[in-house]
Amino acid sequence: MIPETLKISLEARVASAITAREAAVDVMKELQAHYGWLTDEAVEEAATLLGLSPLQVEELATFYEMIYRRPVGKKVIHVCDSISCWCADCDKIIQYLKDKLGVGLGGTTADGMFTLIPCCCMGMCGDSPAMSVGGTPYGRLTTELVDEILEAERHKA
Amino acid sequence: MPKLIIDDIPVEVAPGTSVLEAARSVGITIPHFCYHPALAIAAACRLCAVKLLDGPVKGIQMSCALPAQDGMVVSTTDPEALKMRSLVIEWLMLNHPHDCPVCDEGGECLLQDFTIAGGHSRRRYQGKKRTFQNQYLGEGIHHEMNRCIECYRCVRFYQDYAGGTDFGVMGSAGRVYFGRFQEGALESPFSGNLVDICPTGVFTDKTGRFRARYWDYQFAPSICQHCSVGCNTSPQNFERETIKIVGRRNDQVNGWFICDRARFDKTYLNDPQRPREPRLDGATCGYDVAVDAAAKSIREFVRQHGADKLAFVGSTRLSLEGMILLAQLADAAGGARICYFGDAGQQQGSMAAAKLLNEENTAYVKDIEQAQWVSLHALDLMEEGPMLALAVRKAFLAGAQIFLVAAEALPARDVLPFKYTSVETLNQVPFEGGGKGVIICGAGSKDPDLLAEMASSGAKLVMLQPGPNGFAAALLAQEHGAAPLKELVAARQVRGVVCFEADVPEVLLADVEVLANADWRREAVTDTSPIFLPTTTWVESDGTAINFEGRAQRFQRTRIAGLPLKGLDPKYYGSATEAVSLHPPRVHRKEVPGGAERDAWRVMAQLIERLGGEPIEPLSGKWSSLKSLDPEGEGVRIFEIGLGE
Ligand code: SF4
Ligand code: SF4
Ligand code: FES
Ligand code: FES
Repeated sequence: MIPETLKISLEARVASAITAREAAVDVMKELQAHYGWLTDEAVEEAATLLGLSPLQVEELATFYEMIYRRPVGKKVIHVCDSISCWCADCDKIIQYLKDKLGVGLGGTTADGMFTLIPCCCMGMCGDSPAMSVGGTPYGRLTTELVDEILEAERHKA
Repeated sequence: MPKLIIDDIPVEVAPGTSVLEAARSVGITIPHFCYHPALAIAAACRLCAVKLLDGPVKGIQMSCALPAQDGMVVSTTDPEALKMRSLVIEWLMLNHPHDCPVCDEGGECLLQDFTIAGGHSRRRYQGKKRTFQNQYLGEGIHHEMNRCIECYRCVRFYQDYAGGTDFGVMGSAGRVYFGRFQEGALESPFSGNLVDICPTGVFTDKTGRFRARYWDYQFAPSICQHCSVGCNTSPQNFERETIKIVGRRNDQVNGWFICDRARFDKTYLNDPQRPREPRLDGATCGYDVAVDAAAKSIREFVRQHGADKLAFVGSTRLSLEGMILLAQLADAAGGARICYFGDAGQQQGSMAAAKLLNEENTAYVKDIEQAQWVSLHALDLMEEGPMLALAVRKAFLAGAQIFLVAAEALPARDVLPFKYTSVETLNQVPFEGGGKGVIICGAGSKDPDLLAEMASSGAKLVMLQPGPNGFAAALLAQEHGAAPLKELVAARQVRGVVCFEADVPEVLLADVEVLANADWRREAVTDTSPIFLPTTTWVESDGTAINFEGRAQRFQRTRIAGLPLKGLDPKYYGSATEAVSLHPPRVHRKEVPGGAERDAWRVMAQLIERLGGEPIEPLSGKWSSLKSLDPEGEGVRIFEIGLGE
């Protein structure tokens, strides 16, 4: 159940859209921020708000990689494995992240801090290899830089 | 009109025609998966590659998404195009399980056909295949997602064409999954079409899985007998059992699709409890014995009470042939009465509709699809003509306004695949002089004045008939002055009845004597009648039906009558103890077990002869032009051939 204030603001967001579908990503993101991930309950709530069926929300939710349909850690690491980053040896960075965090792709660290997910190009090809942590983008990664970033992110709110 | 050359053949097509369709028009089938004539273009599978050698575009192109243009020179056999198609099919096959032997689609599978046609016969890929969990989708459809090749046909049909919202496509890239949010029965009343539209075996008909292969089936063109829309179907039969029913294309009626009732509602056809033996005074007897007894009983009754105290009763379930002969049978009996309807209201409405409709005012399905407004008059469309809801949806998607008049009388369960405005009376539908509007109503039990008012509106009309062959019943009732049975009985004008596939209400049976009853299902009257004559259903008989718009369509016998081999009673095996079921009986016999049924109209013809009449060809006289009706054609509206009012 979402609080009344959130519901009202989301209803207003939907009302201001030309078609309800257009507001779907915003609604899903807000609900995800509220629950920590987009729960089944949140999908149903989004459907009601948008006048869509739960399936139609699920179609969108599962399309976008930044909508999480499973529980995730406090911060999600999206590490790019697409072509430019691959040329810049992202495989090494990804392996380093896996080893350091002790998780596979899709896994969440034991302390619940980080979830590691691959992503397909984040528009930072010029600064490859790239990743984002909790929404903050980082480029030109080296293993040393990864250490620093994770340390800083762990303490940043 | 673009003129182009495809494989050295000059082709001229209407503007907007795709190269794929242009090729098809001269008999060249370009392999395709995502393309379907009824759906929007997706160009998702990349299989329909051709090479353009000359003209406004050049090189490899997707023929389904490329409009034919003047001067194009197309090759479907160019080595580069062939190579492209074989690589595409190889890649579509990467994840596909090699499971045709255990797949119910095998033998009627587009993927099989085009894998072979595409020239991919040896698998090079050695890696792991992507696999999925299947979902329970209800009792109609089995789900096998591993077989998916991501053509998007299913979701384009289910959501876009049929307006369903509980099935769709989830995920992205190599993970796309076609299914529901959560397991559960598919909600759309058109969900069964997924079976026909999926080019592989992802969706198979659960009600008929693993019973037979395509080449085992007996087929014939048939017409759905569940409502008066008259959709075209192909029942697939095996060993005297109707295993599956699939849609058959008729652009004038149902397009490519059918509703779930047509597809899944078939157990009654195979029911071993169907009354299949002729009976005389409670004991089974030979068919001719029963016919003789019926003739005798009719003669006896007429001598005692006079012919006008006797009624021959049919229903809207009868074929046109049966309806015609029913009237002649009544004649042969010395001028007995005829009933095609039980209820006065039904007959009145049905006849009023048949009288009001003519070539000008009767809507074609295309008129519904292209209407600017559609008004549904106190109509439970999903009950009375489900497939028309998809035609209305097309109009709705093109911007038409839809009104539901006097909707409060309707059951609440209906979810129509379009949005509508509820109004109280027809007067509140804002239309000027008709426009391009269509009024849809059910004719049965409607006040003729109301129907006439609708007809005077200038809009095109759809008046759905009570029962699959109601239009024909109305025409014959008009021609022969038939009266509703209830009325005749209430007025004590009739004391005896002979029933042919008639649904006589139980209350009437107290007041009349049933001389004989001919039917393929058990009705209240079956138990009252001393003589029972089993008849064939529409899958086992030839006949003609006239749909709501006066379209006469021929259906053909799709299998012989008789008990399905599966589950055949041990008595037919010559030994009550032998383990049965897997093998046909080893006892030789001349008759098909339970196969005594005859077409109702043939039984009538025999009775006519027994009563001293001439043997009659049902489609003669004014009906003779229907004799040559092509069962695989589009049918013919009776107005066009000078029948009807
Ligand atoms: S399930 Fe069938 S129709 Fe749907 S995308 Fe897959 S192969 Fe195509
Ligand atoms: S709409 Fe009517 S005629 Fe058509 S398939 Fe359904 S039940 Fe049969
Ligand atoms: S490929 Fe990695 S950011 Fe574009
Ligand atoms: S049929 Fe043309 S791309 Fe699929």
